[in-house]
This record gives sequence, C-alpha cells and structure tokens, in this order.
Amino acid sequence: MELLVIMKRTLIVQVVILFLFCLSVPGKAITGQDNRMELIKVQDAQGTTLEVRLPVKKLVVLTSDALEIVRALKAEDLVVGINTGIVKDPLFWPRLKHRPAVGRWSEPNYELIAELNPDMVISYARHPGAEMEKKLMPLGIRVIRLDFYKIRTLEKEVKTLGRILKKEKEAKELTAWYQRKLSWVREKLKEVNDRPAVYVESYTGYHTTGPGSGGNEICVLAGGHNIASNFSIPYPQVTPEWVLANNPDVIIKATSLSNCYAMADPGPLRTTRHRIMARPAWDNIRAIKEGRVYVMAGDIWTGPRAIIGASYMAKWFYPDIFKAFDPKELHREYLERFQGIKYQGVYVYPSL
Amino acid sequence: MCIPHFRYFYMQEICEQYRGLTGRKVSFMILLVVLLSGVGLIALSQGASSVGLKDSFAALFEDSGVAHAIVWKLRLPRIVMAILVGCGLAIAGTVFQAILRNPLASPHTLGIGSSAGFGAVMAIVFGGGLYKEYLIAGNAFLFALLSSSLILGVAKLKRSTPETMILAGIAMMFFFSSLSSLFQYMGTMEEVHEIVFWFFGSLSKVGWKEISMASVMILLPIPLLLKWSWDFNLLAAGDESAKALGVNVTRIRMVGLVVASLITAGAICFTGVIGFIGLVSPHITRMVIGGDHRFLLPASALVGSVLVLTADTLGRTLWAPQVIPIGIVTSFIGVPFFFYLLMKRTREYW
Repeated sequence: MELLVIMKRTLIVQVVILFLFCLSVPGKAITGQDNRMELIKVQDAQGTTLEVRLPVKKLVVLTSDALEIVRALKAEDLVVGINTGIVKDPLFWPRLKHRPAVGRWSEPNYELIAELNPDMVISYARHPGAEMEKKLMPLGIRVIRLDFYKIRTLEKEVKTLGRILKKEKEAKELTAWYQRKLSWVREKLKEVNDRPAVYVESYTGYHTTGPGSGGNEICVLAGGHNIASNFSIPYPQVTPEWVLANNPDVIIKATSLSNCYAMADPGPLRTTRHRIMARPAWDNIRAIKEGRVYVMAGDIWTGPRAIIGASYMAKWFYPDIFKAFDPKELHREYLERFQGIKYQGVYVYPSL
Repeated sequence: MCIPHFRYFYMQEICEQYRGLTGRKVSFMILLVVLLSGVGLIALSQGASSVGLKDSFAALFEDSGVAHAIVWKLRLPRIVMAILVGCGLAIAGTVFQAILRNPLASPHTLGIGSSAGFGAVMAIVFGGGLYKEYLIAGNAFLFALLSSSLILGVAKLKRSTPETMILAGIAMMFFFSSLSSLFQYMGTMEEVHEIVFWFFGSLSKVGWKEISMASVMILLPIPLLLKWSWDFNLLAAGDESAKALGVNVTRIRMVGLVVASLITAGAICFTGVIGFIGLVSPHITRMVIGGDHRFLLPASALVGSVLVLTADTLGRTLWAPQVIPIGIVTSFIGVPFFFYLLMKRTREYW
C-alpha cells in the first residue's frame, strides 16, 4: 500500500519534471534568440532613458533633420518611410524621394506606419505628442525622439543615433567634423571684445528670437550680441520702435522659404531684404544705414546645418577676422562629404 | 379747462425728461472723447525709445530726426489705426445687431470677419507686387461681400428671419475658419508664418498707406449709416411694425449688410484678427445710453476705439519690450468689463 503511494508520488514528480522540462525548452529557445539580439540603453532628446533592441533594420524617419543625419551616417538604406515634405524637395533627396511617405512630420498616419512595420520611428522631442508611443509601442515599434536642430545637443544626439544604427564610426567622423569647425570659429572669436548688436528676426514678422531659441544660439555662437538676449520667452513679438531704440549694428532675417537647394535665383530673398529695409522709420537704424541686413534661408538656420548659418553670421559680424573664410565652401564640404550630393542652391542674401 | 393745462404740464415734463436723457447720452460721448484723447496721449508718450510726451509733441512739428521718425512713422500710425479699427469693428457690430435684430450678431459671429480674413490671407499668400495692399483690401472686401450675400441669399430663400441669418453666419464662420486652417495646413512654412502673424492680430505692420485705405473703407460709409439710424431704431420694433411705419425692411437689411461688410473688411484686412470688439462695444454702449441708434452708432464707435487703443497700448507696455498680441489683450480687458456691466445692469437692454 505504502509502496503504491510512493510509486504514485514518484510518478507525479516525474510527470511534473517532464512537464517543466517541456516548458523550459521553447523558453530556452526564446532566451537564446534574445541573447543574439542586443539590448542597449540610450537617452532621447527629452532626457528619457530607453531600451532599444538592436539591430534596427527598418526605419521610419519623420523629420527632415533626422533624415539628414541618417544619410550622413550612411544608413539611407534602412529608411522605409519618410514624411510628405521630403517628396517636395526631390533634388535634395535624390535617393529617398521615392520611399513611401507616412504623412506630415507632426501628424503621421499611424496606419501607414504600422503597415510598413518598421523597427523604429524617429521624431522630434515634442511632435507628434505622446499618442504616438501609445499607438506604436503595442505593435512593437520603438519610438525614439531626437531633435537634431540645436547645436548644443547635436553631437550627443548624433552619437546616440550612431549607436542605435551601429554606425559609430560614421557618427564619430561627423561629430569630429562639427567639433573641428566649431572650435575654429570659437578660437577666432576669442580675442573679440566689441560684439555687434544684432536684431534677429525669425520667420514671422516682428517676432525675434530670445533665450532658448535656435536663432539666439547661433547668433551668440557667431559672436553677436543678440539685443533680445535678456527676454523671458523664446519667440517674443516686439514693436518696430523697440528695434529702432536698440539701434542694432546688424539685422538677420530668417526666411522659411522651402526648396532653397533647387533655387537658382536669389529673387525671393532679395525681396525679403528689400521689405525689411523699407519698413517705416527703420532708415534710422544703423544696420540699415550701413546696409548690414542679411537674409538667411531656414535650411542653414536651425537643423543639422545650423553650423553653416552660424558661420555666415560670424563672417557678417566680423568681415575682417573671417576675410579668407568662405562659408559656402564649408557648406559644399558638408553636402559633398556627408550628404553625398553636390553643392547648389541659394541660401543667403546678399551673397558674399 | 384743466385738461389742456394738465396736458401742457405733462408735455413739458416729457420734454425735460427727454432733454435729460439726451444730455446723459451727449455727456457719455464727451466723456468717451476725453478718454480717447487721454489714452491717445499716453500711447503717444509710451514706447521702447526714450522719446517721452514732451519730445513727442516737439517731434510732431519737426521735419526730420529720429524722434520725428518714431512719432510720425511708428507711434502715430499705430494710434490712428487702433482708433480706426476699433471704430470700424464697433460700428459694423452695431449695424449687424440692428439689422438682424440679434444680440449675438457681430462681424466675427456672422462669419464676415472669418471670410474677410480668409480673403486677406489668400492675397497675402498668393499676391505680390507693388499693389499688394490694394489686393489684400480688395480681396478681403470681396470675400466679406461673398459671405454676407450668401447669408442674405439663404435668409431670402427660407423667409428672412433673423435666426436663419445668424445660423447661416455661424456656419459661414466655421467654413471660412476651416478654409484658412486648410491653407495653414497645406502651406509652406513661409506662408504659415505670414498667416500666423495675421491671426495674432497686430498693428506693427501698419503705415500711412494702409491707414488711408482703411479710413476710406471705414469712415466714408459712416454718415450714410447715421442717416439710416431712424430706420435701425424702427427695425427694433419688429419687421411688421417697421414696415407699417414706412421702412423698406428688405432694402435696409441688404444695404446695411453690404455697408457693414465693407467696414469690417477695412478694419480687418491690415491688422488681422482682433476679436470681441465688434460684439461687446455695442452692448457696453447700449447698457449705458440705451438703444437709440442716432447716439448708439457714434458712441459705440468711440467705445470700440477706446478699447482697441487701450488694448494695444497695454499690450506693448505691460510686458515691454515683449509684446502681448492685441487679440489676446482685447479679450482680457473686454471680457471682465463686459461681465461687470452685465451683472450690474438693472433693466433689460435687449
């Protein structure tokens, strides 16, 4: 009787062990696959630490800024989806223009993204909103938010993307180039004491750029004294009289003209400059009297090419110091070396 | 024997009462003129530069110099345009409320503002060249007319009751707001920024050229409206009574709508959306002096001017040198004031 009970117990134990073993086999197989996939931790533009599963093989890139960096890291082939704006600029994106568009950078179509089934979507830190994670995470699509439009954080973000795409070498090359150019400008400006007063106007009329804006960042980098640097909001509206009262030495106007790469005629930029110079009572401003009014296209104003905008500004602020320097050549070098396209287009007026 | 005497006494009392009421209305208008001049002087003396009141006055009579430029090219145009815009929006609001016999009517709630705005935005985005100002003003008027005639058409088709007009107007407002949003959505970055500037509402871009055009559109029709003020008064008694008293109701409604559309377009096309003024100015005025359009029209024009000028001056001085967009300030000062009057009122004005 007792033996029977013992035998029964052993049988039960055996069955349980067998069952557990059976369970553990596929379990082991999954973990085995997991080990082959690499998990890395990265920090996005909002400072959130995220786990990313490598390798990333399919990529939807919502912003043109990020797309430019992806191309600079020679990872164009991974891109399976772009925003609709890219299609409007086919000359600048000769190899990417035919990839499927998934909607606007700020309002993508999640259904289209799901259909493309990428491993990852890259977007700005704030746009689109948190609903993107809510919709895409359950589908196993990682959302990573990287801005690539502030010089301050650009290098860090490039390195992050380099790790994610396993393009560390290319990322290092790009950041080294940035560092070299930036420190060269900084070195040149070291001895400058008398900084010109600058009025920077963003895309909308009479809206200047205060602290926290990209315009302020590149103006300061280029050695200018932004007359709105003590403001409390990034894009304040000002009165024409305030500009006149501050009597800036230089006026920089950013224009959001699109398709500058395909542009051959500086006409639109010239018109913008002419309109600024003809504003009522502004003929009393030093910058206008001396003709130091410069118009700059949005392409080199913020974004990965902000360094080129900053170089132009440096040259405008200190024509003597940067006499031999041609920002156009810097732009050419960037486009040909990192973007794989030839230099063309109109980005500033008056041209140097 | 007693009755004529009594009647005489009674008449005399009525006449005195009438004189007293008229006196009240006239003194309210005088008060508004004084207020407007006061705010105007403050506006003239305030600014980012060091040019104060005394310098401003001196600069008024100078021929050149920075102070001259500041006063003549920056501060005065701003002040004049603020007065014009306020006057135009308020007058248009008063006329719309009278002809539609509806307290909710105003350039914006009727969609005339939205459609004029859409016309202006369209000209801003697609127009160009030397005559851009004319194009903007013309297109704004064209679209204002388009929507007001649509409202009229709808009303005519389905028996002209004020309610249908208001409903059609609200539909119009949503339609043209959506069209403008569509422009913004589809537009290039540059266009979007032009539109944003316009939707914020601003007096910064205004010069004498714009002022001369706006004043033609706003001031010229005013005498005509004053001439019709008796008709507007009679409309308040209802269409049947007005008809019985000899008012050509259909005609006055149509002409009033066209003229008020022209004024709205003039007030809106160069400065963008400055909401709320057209709706509250007539109400504020009516609460103080009543509904006689002979006084209501000029007085609410003055109220509108005071509101817009005060809002603009506050907007550019409160948080200087940063500017608070005028459309925001008008609501901030107009709404509490309006609520105060609404709570305090003792009798029905509408």
